[in-house]
Amino acid sequence: MSVALNSKILHNLPVSWPTWAAGASVPACLALAWQSEQWAAGASGAVAGLGYLAWNRYGRKSGANGSSTDATASFTSLMAAAERDAEPEGDLVQKMLAAGRYSLLLRPQIANNLQPDQLYAAEQALDANMSCVPGGPVIMRPRRFEDMDEDELARNERTVDVDGYFLDRYPVTNEAYLRFVQDGGYEQMNLWDATIWPAVLGFVDSSGLSGPRYWKHGHPTDEKRQHPVVGICWYEAAAYARWAGKRLATDPEWVKAGAWPVVADGAPPQQRRYPWGDALDRSLVHVWGSGRDDTTSTFGRPLGASVGGVQELVGNVWEWTSTSFGVWDLANLKIETATPMRSIRGGAFDTYFDSQCHLHFQSGESPLARKHNIGFRCAVGFCDVASYQNSSETEEQEAAA
Amino acid sequence: MRATGQLELDSYRLAQYTVSCPCYICGGGNNFDAELCRHCYAPMALVHQANSQKIHPRMVAAIGSSGAGKTVYLGMLADMLSKGRDDLQLLARGAFSIGLQERTMAALARCEFPAKTPNEPDRWNWVHCQILRKKLKPVELILPDLAGEALLEEIDHPNTYPVIRAFLGKCSGVLVLIDALRCQAGEADEDFRAMKLLSYLCELQADKKTGWASKAVALVFTKADQCDHCFDDPQQFARRHTPGLYVQCRERLKRHAFFAAGVAGACGYRLEGRGRVHVPLRIEPRGVVEPFHWLLEEVAR
Repeated sequence: MSVALNSKILHNLPVSWPTWAAGASVPACLALAWQSEQWAAGASGAVAGLGYLAWNRYGRKSGANGSSTDATASFTSLMAAAERDAEPEGDLVQKMLAAGRYSLLLRPQIANNLQPDQLYAAEQALDANMSCVPGGPVIMRPRRFEDMDEDELARNERTVDVDGYFLDRYPVTNEAYLRFVQDGGYEQMNLWDATIWPAVLGFVDSSGLSGPRYWKHGHPTDEKRQHPVVGICWYEAAAYARWAGKRLATDPEWVKAGAWPVVADGAPPQQRRYPWGDALDRSLVHVWGSGRDDTTSTFGRPLGASVGGVQELVGNVWEWTSTSFGVWDLANLKIETATPMRSIRGGAFDTYFDSQCHLHFQSGESPLARKHNIGFRCAVGFCDVASYQNSSETEEQEAAA
Repeated sequence: MRATGQLELDSYRLAQYTVSCPCYICGGGNNFDAELCRHCYAPMALVHQANSQKIHPRMVAAIGSSGAGKTVYLGMLADMLSKGRDDLQLLARGAFSIGLQERTMAALARCEFPAKTPNEPDRWNWVHCQILRKKLKPVELILPDLAGEALLEEIDHPNTYPVIRAFLGKCSGVLVLIDALRCQAGEADEDFRAMKLLSYLCELQADKKTGWASKAVALVFTKADQCDHCFDDPQQFARRHTPGLYVQCRERLKRHAFFAAGVAGACGYRLEGRGRVHVPLRIEPRGVVEPFHWLLEEVAR
């Protein structure tokens, strides 16, 4: 289709002309690549165009790469879009609550602009969907700690102090992830690490549309809507978390939520092996031998919850964390891998051994792997939730007084 | 001091020595109390069980090049089936039949692979088992864990390992294990070795009706967990990465099928005194039972 572009038309376009040009460059580059079979050059042009679009839409407003800044930028862009479309702010808040993005609304930078009833609704959503994990020490053990005697273990385990945070009660489901996909999560480039932009176009489902690997035509099957989302790489998990105003949990945070360390009489923290206790009970967890050979609904095993009410930490799907694989291992027992791996924890529906699905077992996977048994859940620090930030500041002031 | 009754028993035993006891695998004569066949080193328990329980087990082989994953595959299969979770259940006959399962599982639980199977046949693990099937007759099976290097040695220099020749001659079906990772990396030697194995089988029993051309052959790409697309379509994977094997199967075998299997979700290397050791990062079996199930159906036909 040919369009006569004059200055008036350019002026009246809903986007500025450089943006329009960048947008037009994407199909043009791909068409050129197709004609000349110079795919590398074509793809570079297309990615550059997409990159400019993303920067133009969000990047100008966002600063550093921190999750907090990204999340705020995402919200700011949404607010800007809402203003353009003359959408009432109340509707936008409702939409965000419906999409499960309550955590963004509770950011200290944003919460002050909300009406009391909107803030209350966001806090209610946070309480319903996330479990509060208090700050404190947690012991991180090396991979082969079970082969060590007590003295050796005492020398090699590390105590890590974790700040208080909220952790999703359940792994992210296909249904929740669908909202991210339908909101254009794969096109909002500020949600993604800049290094991974060229790969984002390749994160497609079985029909070639953007989305988890095992979806078809851009959505999951109906019977799997309540199952944890799988077939997503570490970067997709991180992008979802940013979109939702959250982040991936670190290894110590993840372990603390399940092992629930208790410090008594100055002794080292006493930690659980499984969220419910120290022995594996196959009726509480979905691992090999306890059911079907596939993921199941995340809401089916309430008795397997941790003390804090976090469900499905063990079994069903492994969970990505933000920590690198092998950081707790001793130097002489380090595992070398072809590419740097990210830590996954908790075991999955096909995990064979009891010794590989407890809370202290760490496995790893390439951050670009989109496996059938790896999902994730999100976390958000107390410091990123307005009401908790205010209360902790007040406590500090009271203590100082 | 010996009791009188025992002297009578000893004389009875002496009489037994005069009768040769044929090995169940190679048919060579042995003393009745021999533990291993003196010709092929197969356990003599196989023939004692067959005689005392009046059963005639069928034989199925798992063959493949060294490092293809035969020990891990067989050990994992035996353990999965012995837990009776699927339609198939495995009941080991004799303590010696549990050795392979025990050794493999102990290593995998520690996130290690079992040590390489030694070339000496007297150190191989043999599994004699009964496979129970829902609503179908049980099947008696003998499944040895053959050493890959010994297999290739026998193929290159026939009669080096008489037990291999004798056993493969009696087998009703075979699982050919092929390292999918090496195939994907473009290492043609894996294709050649698999072709050699098939060619050896076809020459061993060349008859079109009773030979290997009409016996069941399951071709299993192992370590497929590390090249995920192999699971999507193993036949397509074979066509792309092992074209020689694919053509040979199509032209020479009437009953064959391609499968993908994996046991470790991911792997890495640990530095030890003897160098880099390949270690699994977790154990999550996938596609292990399916090829065996198919082969059993074909064998039991």
